[in-house]
Amino acid sequence: MLELQGLTRRFGTVTAVDAVSLAVPDGQMVGIVGRSGAGKSTLLRMVNRLTEPSAGRVLWDGRDITALRGRALRDWRADCAMIFQQFNLVQRLDVLTNVLIGRLNRRRGPLAGLTGLLGLFTAEERARALGLLDRFGLAEAALQRAETLSGGQQQRVAICRALMQEPKVILADEPIASLDPANAEAVMQALRQANREQGLTVLCNLHQIEVARAHCDRILGLRQGRVVFDGPPAALDAEREEAIFGDTAPAAPGPSGPARAPAPPGAALVR
Amino acid sequence: MSGARRGGAVPRPSPSEVAAWRARMPRAFAPAPARRALRWALGGAFLAWLAWALWQFGFTPQRLWNGLSGLTTILRLMVPPSPGEQWAEILRGLGESLAMAFLGTLLAAVIALPLGALGARNVLTVGLLRFSLRRVFDGMRGIDQLVWALAYVRAVGLGPLAGVLAIASADVAVLAKIYAEAIENADRRQVEGIAAVGGGRLAQLRFGLLPQVAPVILAQALYFFESNVRSAAILGVVGAGGIGLQIAERIRVRYWDEVAFIILLLILTVAAIDALSARLRRRLIGGPGAARA
Repeated sequence: MLELQGLTRRFGTVTAVDAVSLAVPDGQMVGIVGRSGAGKSTLLRMVNRLTEPSAGRVLWDGRDITALRGRALRDWRADCAMIFQQFNLVQRLDVLTNVLIGRLNRRRGPLAGLTGLLGLFTAEERARALGLLDRFGLAEAALQRAETLSGGQQQRVAICRALMQEPKVILADEPIASLDPANAEAVMQALRQANREQGLTVLCNLHQIEVARAHCDRILGLRQGRVVFDGPPAALDAEREEAIFGDTAPAAPGPSGPARAPAPPGAALVR
Repeated sequence: MSGARRGGAVPRPSPSEVAAWRARMPRAFAPAPARRALRWALGGAFLAWLAWALWQFGFTPQRLWNGLSGLTTILRLMVPPSPGEQWAEILRGLGESLAMAFLGTLLAAVIALPLGALGARNVLTVGLLRFSLRRVFDGMRGIDQLVWALAYVRAVGLGPLAGVLAIASADVAVLAKIYAEAIENADRRQVEGIAAVGGGRLAQLRFGLLPQVAPVILAQALYFFESNVRSAAILGVVGAGGIGLQIAERIRVRYWDEVAFIILLLILTVAAIDALSARLRRRLIGGPGAARA
């Protein structure tokens, strides 16, 4: 189980994430929604500590992740694979190598580090990567440079890299924000599939609430770094949606910013 | 996404699956035999050439060892560094070197900017003119600063003027090439934005292009200035003024302690310039919003 306890991150005087506490049972798919700047990315990045928390803790099965250092931290990062909005593939390396990179922290043995750096992956590892790529219809592109692929293909390669890590958790930071609707749907289905078939816990940042409704077990609404909604998609009605996305801040007295009609439910595209 | 296999995380492939993949995509497991042979051949040829070159130049452990002991003698003579009697001379030379480097770089940058713009494909669309200009840059780049210095010492006489001209001549072509490339790599869309508001050719350059390349222009000029302070030490040796003359004289009479002192002074000066130019760059280029070209 993944637990966040009072997780907080401040940038100067701005509090990006404000005392978020949360328990995610294994195998749950959580959609985190909110406006740009609500703290979604920061929250996700604190889980694998690409961003260090200012206060609070992250626990995995009772183990304090926030205290990990060095080797143990790298092992944890391998355990929770991250998917990025801009894919973060190494553009000049071929697709196969990009996927094999997912094994780097999984290789064991006296020479594993060295052979990994030299790119001397075993035949078994290569076959495994090819099998994975094949599942996403990308085996034929294995020897092309990553930069020659379309955005949707690149994101699927990134998912292959993530699955090569044999993770326990997948952190997806706006995985579909740079994709067209068809590719977005394919990527969301791939995440859902990993979640259902392999029982992976998935935390997925989204700014399209209807996508979160369609694919997630649980929705977390973030506003100005605080959790303003936490529940199943069915419980997210128009009023609660307004609390996440609306122009009036829930805590602010009186109107702030120009008056605007509340967005119709299911159409709250915030960008 | 269709036709997905059910099962564990990433199923460990069985040996027969590995073999099947190897048969289907052999290149994913190893480079083609011809390619591998070529790699070995090229690697072998390179090593043989390296060994031959080292042998030709007499790179024997014996000579290296002897050279090392000669070097330690010099190093011993350098301790402790001493300014000697001629403090004022040394400081004057250092000041002269600084001035030469500054004037030379400034002159080079000022001339290189328009030349660079003319050498850029997206500014000057007349192919022939651009091509000839680029070849002139190439030609000038082929001549080293030291050669320019020797020529100018004959032309305008001993002293810092020859140094300034040598630095400027050697750097104009290099800077022009760097500036031309920076201009070519600039984002078209920003220039298009200026064209779309009805801006003329010059307005497009001024507002669309210049703000994009200003950081490169400044950063390169500062880097060249720093590098030229160092090379100004060499120019003095051939009579083009500056601290180099002081160094050359002292080496001739083996006042190694004074040479060491001048070298330390040069290191401090370059470090100071480096720190200053880093601050200047941060101020002028800075992050988003800080730059105004």
